[in-house]
Amino acid sequence: MSATHDATHDEAPIAARVRHVEALLEQRGWLAPGEVDERIDALAAGGSPANGAAIVARAWVDPGFRARLLADANTAIGELGLSMAGGLQEQQLIVVANGPDEHHVVVCTLCSCYPIALLGPSPGWYKSEAYRSRVVREPRAVLREFGLELPASTRITVWDASAESRYMVLPRRPAGTDDLDEGRLAALVTRKGLIGTAAV
Amino acid sequence: MPDRFAAGDRVRTGTVDPPHHTRLPRYARGVCGEVVATAGHHPLADERARGLPSTPRAVYCVRFAAHDLFGEGDHAVVVELFEDYLEPAEREVRR
Amino acid sequence: MSRINDVGGMVGFPAIVEEPDEPAFHADWEAHVVALNAALLRRGVYDLDEFRDAIERIPPREYLAASYYEKWFRAITTLLAEKGIATPEELAGA
Repeated sequence: MSATHDATHDEAPIAARVRHVEALLEQRGWLAPGEVDERIDALAAGGSPANGAAIVARAWVDPGFRARLLADANTAIGELGLSMAGGLQEQQLIVVANGPDEHHVVVCTLCSCYPIALLGPSPGWYKSEAYRSRVVREPRAVLREFGLELPASTRITVWDASAESRYMVLPRRPAGTDDLDEGRLAALVTRKGLIGTAAV
Repeated sequence: MPDRFAAGDRVRTGTVDPPHHTRLPRYARGVCGEVVATAGHHPLADERARGLPSTPRAVYCVRFAAHDLFGEGDHAVVVELFEDYLEPAEREVRR
Repeated sequence: MSRINDVGGMVGFPAIVEEPDEPAFHADWEAHVVALNAALLRRGVYDLDEFRDAIERIPPREYLAASYYEKWFRAITTLLAEKGIATPEELAGA
């Protein structure tokens, strides 16, 4: 590499550059050997949309849990053995419930805040400038692009995770699911439903 | 220090465009909204980002009408804002 | 002085593209970047707001052209240089 080569425009493949920085930091004692691999394993074993689905299903079958979840989500999810403490420090979780005339959708316009410790990495579209710029301004149009057409009478609230809390939507229980048990109900819940870009 | 605001209070956001990291989005500057909840107490991101000491202060969920933010839209946007970004809005002033 | 990350309400961005069956990471290096960042945050080399700030300082043209985890890696190397952990040349492997 020439001395005039600007590091910020490095043309080496990024995988090689990442490996190089990792090795340099290990060499200098800023990373313990194997520390990055341990963190990768921890990431993989951490949050998952299945956690959100389990929370939603419990809220659908247990009105008491639903009330506790909406009042203090961090404590309530402890009843399912879940926690918001998987990251650097425990973050506050705020759960917002859809209703017959009310729909919620979550975004982080400034970066990409998301309850990763609970739900795992966010989808790529959630991090895109297109979603972040548009959903606060024209949520109906954005939701329509996701195939979610809401009646004109439905009030839409967009939650911008612009500071410290993390947000999750509690979707409405679909009609005709009275016979399903908690596990089968959880299987209906999607990651998009937990963000608010799908009905469930 | 006690919290300056509580749920139900009308507040107005600041208009300052700082040259550093901040968590007051541009689209939510200089507008009136209503505090819907207090969302904990945290050091100010603007200060932490610059390596400055910062004590916890209240953070609020503030609801804005889309029309007040963008001049159009029938939805609401709730933005989570540090107390430092807010002033009391004594009366509604339409921009 | 609003920064390029502050896109809420901006018009002109295209339709939102969903990737079916999207994996958590599209390449190993992305997971390494996330893990590297987590390790450095835990060690207190920098804090989360400094990290966000470093992403926001990426020049707009490059910010919009970079992939999500490319931005992360660039912010990490910016901070490592600024904190005196390594020089930009060392970080680039020069």
